[in-house]
Amino acid sequence: MKNFFRNPVLESELKVKMRGWRAAMAVTAYIGIMLLIAYLYFKTILDSVLRYGGYNSASQSIGLQVYSVLAVLQFALIILVTPAQTAGAISAEREKQTLDLLLCTKISSIGIIFGKLVSSLSFILLLIIGSIPLFSLVFLFGGISPGDVATLFLFYMITAFAVGSIGIFCSAMFKKTVTAAVTAYITIFVLGIVTVILGAYMLANYYDSFAQTSTTPPPYIPSVFYLNPAIGLADLMLQQLDGMSGGLVPSISRSIFGYSYYGGSSAATQNTGIAFWKPWSFWIKNSLVLISIACLLLGISAWKIKPVHRWKRGWERK
Amino acid sequence: MLVIKDLVKKYGKFVAVDHLNLEVEPGHIFGFVGPNGAGKTTTIKIIATLLQPTSGTVKVDGVNVVEEPLKVRERIGYMPDFFGVYDNLKVMEYLDFYGSCYGIPYRERQKTALELLELVDLIRKKDSYVDSLSRGMKQRLCLARSLIHNPKLLVLDEPASGMDPRARIELKEILRELKNMGKTIIISSHILTELSQICDMVGIIEKGKMVIAGDMDDIMKRITGKTIVRIKISGDLEKAVNILKEQPLVSGIIKEGDELELSYEGEERELWKLLKALVDEEISVVSFGKAEGNLEKIFMEVTQGEELLS
Repeated sequence: MKNFFRNPVLESELKVKMRGWRAAMAVTAYIGIMLLIAYLYFKTILDSVLRYGGYNSASQSIGLQVYSVLAVLQFALIILVTPAQTAGAISAEREKQTLDLLLCTKISSIGIIFGKLVSSLSFILLLIIGSIPLFSLVFLFGGISPGDVATLFLFYMITAFAVGSIGIFCSAMFKKTVTAAVTAYITIFVLGIVTVILGAYMLANYYDSFAQTSTTPPPYIPSVFYLNPAIGLADLMLQQLDGMSGGLVPSISRSIFGYSYYGGSSAATQNTGIAFWKPWSFWIKNSLVLISIACLLLGISAWKIKPVHRWKRGWERK
Repeated sequence: MLVIKDLVKKYGKFVAVDHLNLEVEPGHIFGFVGPNGAGKTTTIKIIATLLQPTSGTVKVDGVNVVEEPLKVRERIGYMPDFFGVYDNLKVMEYLDFYGSCYGIPYRERQKTALELLELVDLIRKKDSYVDSLSRGMKQRLCLARSLIHNPKLLVLDEPASGMDPRARIELKEILRELKNMGKTIIISSHILTELSQICDMVGIIEKGKMVIAGDMDDIMKRITGKTIVRIKISGDLEKAVNILKEQPLVSGIIKEGDELELSYEGEERELWKLLKALVDEEISVVSFGKAEGNLEKIFMEVTQGEELLS
């Protein structure tokens, strides 16, 4: 077991990645962008509250709004940064002509894939950890617990794992890093958009089928939504924000996910006072689906880079 | 050490390696020669477990490369024709990384890395970044990398390509030292004169088929039916030539400075008769012996003068 975690590729990647000024610059730029956007947003709503008032609990509301912006912004940045980190994992080794040297050692192809992915995810984790001070500003205003932030970060890592595995998969499939990166980005964005459009279409059809009856349709989650981490994020955040958005969003989410976020706190929190989120919420199932798909993609990638397959004897490899 | 039986590798309809058979005994340096696209690199990659053969078997030290590639990787050190290095890695870190990929404990691989850097004369560069090394140094480092796990068989694909003459001489010395250490070496190169000097076995591959393989001198004799003898004379060269011309089974006498090269069609064990004839006539023979196999000659004979290796 100890040897499983002693992955030479991971150790070397971690060492090399943090060498030089690039990594430090990337972290600085990342936090800088988040800080700038959070500051601008914070300033806008603060100005608005000071000028027009209208908030009964302005402090908590500002905190929640800044949290929402930071959460979505960080999610978007992770979606953008992760493929760039992983899409070159294998193809760059091919381009540098170092892959063969690696493959003829005793390290397995799954070990290479694991090392490459975990080193990329470590960098994403570093970015996420770097953003903690920024997120902690939200605690000044209240409304969000450290547990909420930890859960959000966990979901980020699951998302990064899923998106990263798409990058690794493309990297294993394509010879050039540029092709792999472009394909990974296109796949991720097409998946993001197509699942929403297709999901909306499936929802419309579902409610149409109940149009002639007087019964209230039971909640329905279009299966394609499970492929989209943005929907999982929406679910998680709505639970954490306790129906802050009010009106339409909780009503839609009740129809889809089967529970609403009304009432100042989520049902789970109200009943137990411990749980941060509803057991078997959509985002958890979403995470499990994403993890499963990611594992499948990583398995295929490892198979793809493995040079010799025992069962292929006598079968001509093109 | 290496046994290849009926090896076939096809890419679609193109047959890169066509029923290739080869056997290399332990402790030999085997020169793998052939024109461009003959199937040298394909064969080497199959030996190195980096390519799936279509059919046939390849065994390294008795282990099948397809059945147990991990065990084969323990036994071979592979140096490709083209290879890259990692940026941001120092020479010692580079060797340490590959050492850890072979599962060698930290202390052991550090010790081995230093010894190998001594062997390839890069010890002074141990703290330099790999990227900053010259091409020749990178080649030597790559050779050291292929030795980090102390393999029994070294498979070197065009190791001297792109090296300057000095680096080539150094490489030759290193290979000789490795042979003395008991390593079996398979080396492909297009520089035939160099291979002639270091290989004791040779295999010529053409259009995916092994045309001829075996001991270099045997092949030379098999092709030409003659033994090439080189004699160094101090004194009257013309007199020596005349004496040799009178000898039966001697032909093609060539003068090169104070040396003579001739073809002898008789048995090798009868060569003493030539020396005796010269000494009896008081010719001062400084040296007398068989000339090293001339790989270029073998290659041209076997491939009937096809396009020479790139």
